[in-house]
Amino acid sequence: MKLKVYRYQEGMEYPEYDSFEVEREPGLTVLGALLQIQEQLDDSLSFRYSCRGAVCGTCAMLINKVPALACRTQIEPLLKGDLQVSLFPYPGAEETVPWDAKKEVLIEPLPHMAVIKDLMVDMDKFFEYYHFIQPVFKPSDINPEKERLMDPQDVKKLEEYTSCILCAACFGACPVEGENPEYLGPAALAKLYRFHIDPREEDTSRLKIADIPPGWWACDSIGNCLRVCPKKVPPIKAINLAREELNEKK
Amino acid sequence: MIHEYEVVIIGGGLAGLRAALQVFDAGVDVAVISKVNPLRSHSVAAQGGMNASLGNVRGPEGSVDTWKNHAYDTVKGSDYLADQDAVEIMCREAPLSVIELEHLGTVWSRLENGKIAQRPFGGAGFPRTCYAADRTGHNALHTLYEQVNHRKIPIYEEFFVTSLIRNQERCTGCTALEFLKGEIHGFIAKAVLMATGGFGRIFNKSTNALINTGDGQALALRAGVPLKDMEFVQFHPTTLYGTNILITEGARGEGGMLLNKRGERFMEKYAPGSLDLAPRDVVARSIEEEIAQKRGFEGDYVQLDLRHIGAERIKERLPGIRQISMDFAGIDPVNDPIPVQPGQHYSMGGIDVDINGQTILPGLYAAGECACISVHGANRLGGNSILETVVFGRLVADKIIEDINDLATPPKKQVEKGIKTSKNHLEKIIQSKGLENQFNIKNMLNKTMSTKFGIFRKEDGMLKGLGDIHKMQEIVSTVSIKNKELELNHALIRLLELQGMLHVAESVAISAIERRESRGSHKRTDFPERNDENFLKHTLVKGEAGNMVVSYSPVQLGMFEPEERVY
Repeated sequence: MKLKVYRYQEGMEYPEYDSFEVEREPGLTVLGALLQIQEQLDDSLSFRYSCRGAVCGTCAMLINKVPALACRTQIEPLLKGDLQVSLFPYPGAEETVPWDAKKEVLIEPLPHMAVIKDLMVDMDKFFEYYHFIQPVFKPSDINPEKERLMDPQDVKKLEEYTSCILCAACFGACPVEGENPEYLGPAALAKLYRFHIDPREEDTSRLKIADIPPGWWACDSIGNCLRVCPKKVPPIKAINLAREELNEKK
Repeated sequence: MIHEYEVVIIGGGLAGLRAALQVFDAGVDVAVISKVNPLRSHSVAAQGGMNASLGNVRGPEGSVDTWKNHAYDTVKGSDYLADQDAVEIMCREAPLSVIELEHLGTVWSRLENGKIAQRPFGGAGFPRTCYAADRTGHNALHTLYEQVNHRKIPIYEEFFVTSLIRNQERCTGCTALEFLKGEIHGFIAKAVLMATGGFGRIFNKSTNALINTGDGQALALRAGVPLKDMEFVQFHPTTLYGTNILITEGARGEGGMLLNKRGERFMEKYAPGSLDLAPRDVVARSIEEEIAQKRGFEGDYVQLDLRHIGAERIKERLPGIRQISMDFAGIDPVNDPIPVQPGQHYSMGGIDVDINGQTILPGLYAAGECACISVHGANRLGGNSILETVVFGRLVADKIIEDINDLATPPKKQVEKGIKTSKNHLEKIIQSKGLENQFNIKNMLNKTMSTKFGIFRKEDGMLKGLGDIHKMQEIVSTVSIKNKELELNHALIRLLELQGMLHVAESVAISAIERRESRGSHKRTDFPERNDENFLKHTLVKGEAGNMVVSYSPVQLGMFEPEERVY
């Protein structure tokens, strides 16, 4: 099995691509293959990992031009073409290197963030937008001794958004983000909406934080974000509902 | 570069972040150091829930749960090795801790009446486990991270701690490698809290994140601080066959049944009273027994059947489990049983601390899975681990706040020395021209631990295993890494982890060999019975690699007298 891996280090004018032959194992994932490379072939290869079970959001990268979690993506079905996700063209998806999808897997860093080394990107911009939307609970009552009650139906709606793992796959797949680097992006907006619809919240002006051109209004409803999200978080739904609500008030 | 804080917390999981909030809110200057972004901590993977006797769901015959019931189940589950004073604190504080998370913003699953939902879990007499679908750790960790960020508490992420600093018999800080730049930083602090999680990755087939390499326990050992009860390693009964990703006990809490190759619900034989919801040690051993008796499936697994629960309930309460089964095993539990086998899951033992979370080295504290305040004893009940992290994250922080009041800021001299020592150590690794590949040693270690110190243990096998660990400790010094740069050198970080893992593995091995009885997760085939007369005591182990010493300390009893465990 062959992997074509993006290599970059500070000081290089252009990135290079290295090809590695990894050992076939049943169920081998991209993360497993990268670990094989690091352990047996080239210990200088850089990438991030943690849970290897698709819950921590550390290992998002561009796999065959689709942002995905390396730990969740198996190689065999990739080579068979079973995992194809059709996405609207976006920066990062353009041709960078010749690659035969039937014979090898192309692994590159997530787009829209500066590459630190190899597959590691600088997540600062992503988290800057996350911080911008003030992701913290602002309750109406402080420190009562009992739990607040919540309608299980409300919880269901909230859970669509609380399950976001901040892996930034959506951010990396967003065509708008590629054209407009100021755009807060799907993850931050979905997170903002999560706080807005939390019935325990006091702050009713939350939506206004993103009532700016690079906020709610920048999205082109393309939907790449939803298609790549490993947790099926629907940012576009949040964005549309937020727009409706803001328009009603205007 | 030297940084100065009143308190430094090593580790950014639930225990570390909960402590950081407490320390900060007391007006004390605090920073968190973590080898990953805190959101990537292993706490995020906790699935099933957090125990608290809220009493939101009635028990048998309409009875209402109390903290004492919770304490009894915990102590019995621990096979009477837990310290009952610590258990009392945890169980008394549990309802408050769940509600506290709720107030910080955590979204919990709810009952129709709007109260926090509770589900049954193994070894518990009541439906006591509060949960957020099967993403409880995720919801709680994200909440604490939000609060820490809101307070702008500094986080040094992707920093690997290389040593603890001692000054006049106090811990006064640490040194850490800034991974991106390859620089060693010094941290001066009046108090250091270790909150680095477990050491599961010394074993094969573990549910743990790949980062759970026992770094905190290794640091403590090197600083002369003992580890406690290291022989007690939990093997979770249901990990996904193939990848060993956790399949939460909540799946059995919702009614899931274990079946062998013949389609028999074999737990009827082993725990007729609690069936599939017996404690983890009991269920894990039962599965191993079925496999040993050739009643497992080829490849050594059994099945966890959820089909009778129904698609709707599976999708509502176990959505993550369903997704994991589809992604990693290619089956949908709505239509097919999940192939499962036991796998290493939790470290009951850890850094020896007193009831306040204080180690024998003044200034050094520990909380969460890396610590052994001893609420889990020989076997932890599901739902008690993230409970421990938030309860003792808060309480140990309170103790630190109290202790550091009158202390002056420690001098720089030792930390400067520490930086130099760490730099030399790294240089030596980089310069080494040995031939051995570190990853072969790691694989050997994993195999040794699982075969010699797994679910069933025996003296001769363990002695051989210990000998192998000693050999590995020798050859690890002949390892060379090809990448010779200090910046962003993963091979270097992984070697630092491995050096610690070999040290921690030795502590597990020696503790296990010396405990000549069976208790909780520690099952000796050569000593199959529990022996309270000789071993109702904690194991302590300390010392340099290759030169460890075992001693013992008494178990705190008081509420419940030891009795035979029947489920």
